[in-house]
Amino acid sequence: MNRSRILLNKAAWAIFTILFVILLNFFLFRVLPGDPARAGVRDPRLKAEAVEALRVRFGLDKPIINCFDSLNPIQIGDCGVNPLDTQFFIYVRNLLQGELGFSYHTNRPVAEVLAERLWNTVLLIGVGQILAIVLGMGFGIFAAWRARTSIDYVAVGTSLLLWSLPTFWLGILLLFWGSANGLPIAGKATPGMSSMPLLQQWGDIARHMFLPTLTYTIVFMGEYTLIMRSSLIDVLSEDYILTAKAKGLSAFQILKDHALKNAMLPLVTVIAINLGFTVAGAIQIESVFSWPGLGSAIFEAVVRRDYPILQGAFLLIAVAVILANFLADLTYSYLDPRVQAE
Amino acid sequence: MQTTVQPTIALPQSESRFSTFLKAFRKSRTGVVGFWMIVVVVIIAIFAPLIAPYEQRASASTIESIYQPPSAQHWFGTDDAGQDVFSNFVYGARVSLIVGIFAALIAVLIGGSFGLIAGFFGGRLESSLMRFTDIMLVIPDLPLIVVIVALTKPSLFNIIFVIGLLGWTTTARVVRSQTLAVKSRKFVLRARAIGAGKAHIIVRHILPLVMPILVVQAVLVISLAILNESALSFIGLGDPTTLSWGQMLNFAFGRGATSTGAWWALFFPGFGIVWLVLGLTLFGQGLEQVLNPRLDTHHLMAGKPSLSKDALIKPLYPNTLVEVQNLSIHYVNEGKPPAKAVEDVSFTLKEGELLGLVGESGCGKTTLMLSLLRLLPSAGQIVNGKVFYKGKDLTALSEEELNDIRWRGISIVFQGAMNALNPVRTVGDQIAEAVVKHEPKFPKDKIPARVNQLLELVGIVDDQREHFPHQYSGGMRQRAMIAMALACNPDVIIADEPTTALDVMIQAQILELLDDLRKKLGLAVVFVTHDLGIVAELCDKVLVMYGGVTAEYADVDTIYNNPKHPYTQELLKAFPDLTKPKKKLSSIPGYPPRLDALPAGCRFAPRCPAAFDRCHTEQPALHSIGDNHIASCHLVEASK
Amino acid sequence: MKRKFLYVFLLLALILSACGVGQSADAPAVVRIGWGASPDTLNPGNAILAVSYTIFELVYDSMYDLNLDGTFTLSIAESAEVSDDGTVWTFKIKDGLKWHDGQPLTAEDVAFTYNLYLNTPEYPYLNGYYTTYFDSIESTANNEVVLTLTEAIPNIESQLVFLYILPKHVWENVDKLEYENFEMMGSGPFKMAEYVQNEFVRLTANKEHFATPPKVDEVIFQTFDNQDALVQAIKTGQVDMITEMSNTAVANLKAEANVEVISGAPFSPGVTDIIFNQMLPENCPVDEGGLCTGHPALQDRNVRLAIAHATNKQQLIDVILLGLGTPGLTLIPDGLGVWYNDSLVDYEFDVAKANQILDDAGYADTNGDGVRETPDGSLPLTFRLNWPSDSIDTPRMAELLTDMWKQIGISLQPQAIDPDALTALCCPTFDFDIMIWGWVSDPDPSALLYVYTTDAIPYGSSETGYANPRYDELYNQQQVTLDFEARKEIVWEMQKIVHDDVVYVIPYYAQSVQAYRTDRFTGWITDQDKIELSDVSSLVLIEPVK
Repeated sequence: MNRSRILLNKAAWAIFTILFVILLNFFLFRVLPGDPARAGVRDPRLKAEAVEALRVRFGLDKPIINCFDSLNPIQIGDCGVNPLDTQFFIYVRNLLQGELGFSYHTNRPVAEVLAERLWNTVLLIGVGQILAIVLGMGFGIFAAWRARTSIDYVAVGTSLLLWSLPTFWLGILLLFWGSANGLPIAGKATPGMSSMPLLQQWGDIARHMFLPTLTYTIVFMGEYTLIMRSSLIDVLSEDYILTAKAKGLSAFQILKDHALKNAMLPLVTVIAINLGFTVAGAIQIESVFSWPGLGSAIFEAVVRRDYPILQGAFLLIAVAVILANFLADLTYSYLDPRVQAE
Repeated sequence: MQTTVQPTIALPQSESRFSTFLKAFRKSRTGVVGFWMIVVVVIIAIFAPLIAPYEQRASASTIESIYQPPSAQHWFGTDDAGQDVFSNFVYGARVSLIVGIFAALIAVLIGGSFGLIAGFFGGRLESSLMRFTDIMLVIPDLPLIVVIVALTKPSLFNIIFVIGLLGWTTTARVVRSQTLAVKSRKFVLRARAIGAGKAHIIVRHILPLVMPILVVQAVLVISLAILNESALSFIGLGDPTTLSWGQMLNFAFGRGATSTGAWWALFFPGFGIVWLVLGLTLFGQGLEQVLNPRLDTHHLMAGKPSLSKDALIKPLYPNTLVEVQNLSIHYVNEGKPPAKAVEDVSFTLKEGELLGLVGESGCGKTTLMLSLLRLLPSAGQIVNGKVFYKGKDLTALSEEELNDIRWRGISIVFQGAMNALNPVRTVGDQIAEAVVKHEPKFPKDKIPARVNQLLELVGIVDDQREHFPHQYSGGMRQRAMIAMALACNPDVIIADEPTTALDVMIQAQILELLDDLRKKLGLAVVFVTHDLGIVAELCDKVLVMYGGVTAEYADVDTIYNNPKHPYTQELLKAFPDLTKPKKKLSSIPGYPPRLDALPAGCRFAPRCPAAFDRCHTEQPALHSIGDNHIASCHLVEASK
Repeated sequence: MKRKFLYVFLLLALILSACGVGQSADAPAVVRIGWGASPDTLNPGNAILAVSYTIFELVYDSMYDLNLDGTFTLSIAESAEVSDDGTVWTFKIKDGLKWHDGQPLTAEDVAFTYNLYLNTPEYPYLNGYYTTYFDSIESTANNEVVLTLTEAIPNIESQLVFLYILPKHVWENVDKLEYENFEMMGSGPFKMAEYVQNEFVRLTANKEHFATPPKVDEVIFQTFDNQDALVQAIKTGQVDMITEMSNTAVANLKAEANVEVISGAPFSPGVTDIIFNQMLPENCPVDEGGLCTGHPALQDRNVRLAIAHATNKQQLIDVILLGLGTPGLTLIPDGLGVWYNDSLVDYEFDVAKANQILDDAGYADTNGDGVRETPDGSLPLTFRLNWPSDSIDTPRMAELLTDMWKQIGISLQPQAIDPDALTALCCPTFDFDIMIWGWVSDPDPSALLYVYTTDAIPYGSSETGYANPRYDELYNQQQVTLDFEARKEIVWEMQKIVHDDVVYVIPYYAQSVQAYRTDRFTGWITDQDKIELSDVSSLVLIEPVK
């Protein structure tokens, strides 16, 4: 198979997975108990008419899909209803138009809320991941290069310890350390900074980012160190490294020109798969540091049972992870010319 | 929730029995530490009612007893309901272990059967199962947890179930690839051939070999499950009626332990989690180390310094290119007797000369060659002797100085060129690299032409410079390696079995090429081989090695016509002589000695047809027989 | 290695802190408030969360203001007159009122707003409940609003207090459901300056406000997802006041210099209730999905009475609230002032008496397992105990109740349940035995009193299945009794009936705990019946410490 066919195959597979997620996403949240229109509101002041009006507003009065009025409890309905007038069709149609429905809790379009939060999370995860990858790779390279020395043992031991830390626990410890050192412990920016010069605003955001990013970096660094180390040791014991050494290349040249690219291959895959898990980490870190990102939006949606938000976030993350894996495959095929041969 | 630190696991070399396993495991320091860390927790969990001074969750009745610091009554202080943190900690160990173990059980059961079935049956079933696994791997787990918890109840059972459901994907992948590898092994094929049932084969033959990996996976999933349970508790999806360490943290966070300054309510459960997870991870690493022994060595590790420090030793033959003097090399591994790979070997090499280095595999040929450029693995050490190149002591040079001699003075064609070329860089690029390194003044724009010229020299035409190694055939790769070795016009080329694994035609081509080049460029060549036939055609001199020592060293005619060492004689018998076509070919029975368990006397004695008593007790010295003819055999001494 | 790494970060932190915010001498007086929530929406019609109403109170005006002592005062109107039959109210709006953009606020805006609420059924509270008795609203040329009711009602103030007046010139042009109202054009003492959902709300003072122009320049509400961070923030001075905190942190925070911690009944008083499923099989609302699987013993008043006697409320208050609560009595919390029937005498904590009651009623432990059985011996007194899983305090209460009720031979199976799932189990399904849940009260008692009515069963507001015709009759009566004293009597009697029947055990009324920094602003209202420092009453009074 040549490269373009492999990629076409992968792309088709990614699209199939996304379709599967969309289906799962729709039905998963329809089998949940309770009336979404009243989610979180148990109040005698809420009148039956208002509940009914809300059901209409959120489209919940329509049958889920032909033959089924409801999935929890399962209510068999009319199979002859216009399929265009079912919740499922409306959901798909809205999706095609880029709409994810309305948040039960905030009454705002889900897409708008998620877009707002997404950038904050991308900022946090982005910086955190980059730091974790760079530091993890750095320590991993160093540990591999100096394998079986005390430097290596310390690096591996520390990485295992970091990996064993519960994310939120570390976050809370750092929150206290940070607040004792005068660092901001909540939010993305000091309220009211928007009138300040841009540079000061950025400085302010950077100060707020410090603790969550630190937590994030520490938690993910250990894993990257271990992967980089073992992958690099594998590569460095290959024959072609001996060739390079025999050629008279210095250790630095060998690492740079012969080992790193090859050793990066497994890391690329892990980083892509990790993206899904980083969100779980983000949920913990963002709720510790009140960071207004996707993670805290999910946390809050869990607490408030705001299913449209959960549903939207779920879709967003799944698509992001699928795309990341696809990108990893792409990167892989460019990093490793052998892919074409397989 | 975090991902697994995914081990790459090779096949266990054999079905090791428990005692050998234990022996191997004890060597892994991390594994042993991890094991004892887990044992401590298990003991605490089992004997919880005996250890805990108070009943579990015995609430207090007064405000004063809430968040009391550690004291004689409450070793770990009290929590937000005035309960004894130590007692809850002790009982919490039980819950955390149960969560971990049962979740791992579920994950390993599901993942294991998926992997086994997919790997064993293959075909459509495999692809659909693995596609499903891939989908599950990308679906974010948290929303799934929310839904399942909302659908059911946040009871411990459900949480275990959910965590187990999330942990199986990696197990499935690992088990599948293991099953694939096991499936094609001889005894499985044999069992299939005699018509054993599929279930029987899976249970009796494959499962035992997959089991070790399942155990390692299980250990990792346990640690993940414990971390995940605490994270679930933190986001309020845990079961507050079952007090795990995660749940203790949940109460401490939720009810203001940090703002109260009650560090003890937070520290101890958190510490318990870190302790147990770290113990499990270390234990898992230890297990993996046993199943897949990796020496963690590589080519960039600093080698052991030469013990041959005597700067007064001078070259004896100043007009040679390379002179090896009494070289001895040992492999030194901690806790093991040193392996004496090379003992007291000497030879010289002049300009344009071709030396054949002959011997069976494992006779120290490659070690000897690697030591010339100090390319030994980190365990290898020059314990005696010198290597001179143009009068310079290569054992005493710094790495930087040596780097100038490598490739420019002496270059090597390694055996097995598939792996000797970097798969992700083009062949031309790798050849050019040598030029750039050693001839920095070489005009950059002329490098491609130079590379093409080198490739043409070895018969690779049509500008295949930009191709990657995997696009070359085996013979082309070998020739490309030779082209690379020639890139800096070296004085000496070491060709380490350059023709093994190639078909006869290509072997002949490559040999011809080397000989051509020697004549054209005046190279000196060391040709390492176990094939005496090749040597006969090309070489000027032959060094026969056996068990790390020189068996015989002489010019090629002497070796062929007047071999003195029984080993040389036996080797010659194994080589088809075209002049005596009817002579029966014979191979030498037995194997070369293990270098870390050498016989007391002559190293060849156990296999030697002419051995007598003395051979088994005393090592023969090197005896000079005539001009440039050396052999190490008691028979030679006797005949003198 | 790790140390070096931390060091690098420290260095970075130092660099970052160097470019922090500078404070100049005549900086505006900015009050920073930390709270644990964020408004759900700024569209008053859609809002459900109490914190949203806090912002509405500051930015909008309404016909009446609710004071901390529970009384109402007329706000934007200079007079309110009612027709003799009590159904037509005429409010004369003050002249010269202005919106924040300078446009005049007139009776036309008020009438527009009331009609908006009345005609939008999707507005969960402002339509359904508060406009129940509205018939029509009109404005006159005389800057008067004429409100016609379908019935004469006694509590017009509490009906109008949350109906915030919106500017017609903005709202007539927008989609009343989807309008997010981020600009929040209002007329109140504070103007919306900046809003980032889940981060902060920044308000600036409306120094031209007709009644209560604030003394400070700005108020910022900052959202903290984490209660510990909230306490930490007031300790370090990142905020000047916090509206909530863990009760466990009180002692520690009180020791802090420059921080004052106060507690008292919340502005919207809450009640925590232990709910018994006493739905009789014959009343089961099958049409609404009723399953009615409750334990039959709980239909017996004796069992509920014994449980009430076996419940040590003081211990619950001590352990769960660290003493910051008052023992509960009826569903109407003490924070509701006059409506709370404090003449009732609670069932004293007396385990012996509780055991006696059960013995007398024939519940004996016949098989000696420590758990009593029903008189016919068929069922042990083992009850399912459920609560919403989003509460961190309730599991502690479940532990304590399990211990307490064990003393009288009652065993519990505690289980937290997802709030939605619990709602589904609860009402009107009645698929539970005992639940722990809570209510937050409206200023008027009517909403909570409705919970016991027979009408509330099919609708899903009744959690107990309690049905009593006499109570229903009194409920309808108090709805339309105009005389305050007479209505109070009825409300008190209703509470007595429910208390006598032991429909619930009310463990406590939790107090609100707040804290402010004494070195930043002064003038916080702390001496009222109810505590709410983020209420407009405090925020317009405070001024910077000199």
